[in-house]
Amino acid sequence: MEVTLFIHAADDAFRILENAKAQAVGLLDTATRLTSDTRWMEEKKVKSILKGAEETRSGFQNFVATFVMLMGFWALLSGKFDAFHITLGVICSLIVAYLGHDLLFANVRVGDGRVIAQRFLYYIPWLLREIVTANFHVAYLALSPEMPIDPQIITFRTKLESDISWVTLANSITLTPGTITMDIEDREFMVHALDRKVADDLDTGEMEDRVAHIFMEADHIYIQDVLDVSRIFTELKRGM
Amino acid sequence: MVASSDDIIIKTIARILVPFIQIYALYVIMHGHYSPGGGFQGGVILGASLALLLITHGYAEVRKRVPEGVVILLGSLGVLIYAGIGLICLLLGGNYLDYSQLSVILNVDPAHARSLGILGVELGVGFTVMAIMYSIFFDISTGGVLSEDQKHEEKLEGKK
Amino acid sequence: MNEFFVAVGLGMCILVFLVLYRVIFGPGVFNRIAAISAIGTKTLIILLVLGYVYNRVDMFIDISMVYALLNFIGCIAAAKYLEMER
Repeated sequence: MEVTLFIHAADDAFRILENAKAQAVGLLDTATRLTSDTRWMEEKKVKSILKGAEETRSGFQNFVATFVMLMGFWALLSGKFDAFHITLGVICSLIVAYLGHDLLFANVRVGDGRVIAQRFLYYIPWLLREIVTANFHVAYLALSPEMPIDPQIITFRTKLESDISWVTLANSITLTPGTITMDIEDREFMVHALDRKVADDLDTGEMEDRVAHIFMEADHIYIQDVLDVSRIFTELKRGM
Repeated sequence: MVASSDDIIIKTIARILVPFIQIYALYVIMHGHYSPGGGFQGGVILGASLALLLITHGYAEVRKRVPEGVVILLGSLGVLIYAGIGLICLLLGGNYLDYSQLSVILNVDPAHARSLGILGVELGVGFTVMAIMYSIFFDISTGGVLSEDQKHEEKLEGKK
Repeated sequence: MNEFFVAVGLGMCILVFLVLYRVIFGPGVFNRIAAISAIGTKTLIILLVLGYVYNRVDMFIDISMVYALLNFIGCIAAAKYLEMER
């Protein structure tokens, strides 16, 4: 009798172990699928961004957002707020927004506009401080009699994803004296720097991190290999 | 056939700037009586915005928004508006381009009618100038040839 | 306050003459294009300073915005022409 119970218990244990092994195999399969899916989706997104604009907002939302921005610009330019001029402004904004509604907001995800604008406004004073500091350094380089410049070209790969963030980073690098962005080709930045110190300031990647913080990018988890899945699962379980 | 530029920085900045340039041009046209500007200046800025779109994005993008027939139509429409307003003033019993006669149609006093009449002819001038500026720029940059096939055909005709 | 703006305007004029050296003697056409673009930015500031001196800033802001735009478009058009020429 005890033997039968023992055999049943061993059977159950064996079945439980089989289930556990099947679950582990399923987990590994999902993990590999997720890894390859993530990489494939990332490549597809980069390709479509490089090809042109991605359709992430409907045309009508784009139209309304463009109309509001153009109307604000008109009100800023023309200080007169009587009925005649405002009517003219509305008509002109409607025509221009209709003709170019897919120009202004080609890659923005839905619902992001306000947060990005506010973070951009917080980014500008930091950029101004960087420009002033670099200005002093370049002025010292240019005015000293032996002119210790050491021109070099740096290439680095960026972690940003959309074209607006690339353009923001490139413009910030060019605005800072001492560095000029020469080309962006397939996520590789080619930057011409004036000497070693300015290049080192760029290599720390602080500007890139701040630009990624503005556009809310590069803040998701990249699954590099299957061993990362357990860490992610613990985080998710803690959240649940 | 103007090719699109393959530099992503210029493409992004140009596509963000073009609507603002066009609104600025329309502001310059509408406020001709108050600040420097008027019809011709606003038309030149509008033409420059189309030229910017042409250089950076290539001919396909601009043809989507402003096809070739529409350009010629706009050029003639501007002249029609200008001459038409003058003719209406003539038909209403005044001199040619005597805007105060328009107060009969528009139900405003003659001073207001003059102001609106001038705004109307400035709009007409703006349209024509925009169309002609864009057309001149396009013709000079491509030699009047619209596509590669046409260039090939013309070369064959020339050889014959 | 007027004297300060006039001094700034004169300083910008001197800078324009310094850059003019590159426009005249620049070896090659790329130097000349970059120098003309730089002169354009100095011209913007001189226009605004004139606006303050004549006490009609609103008029001169319109003019300087147009000039900034045309400077930008001209630089891009010249660069595109040179790229196609090669």
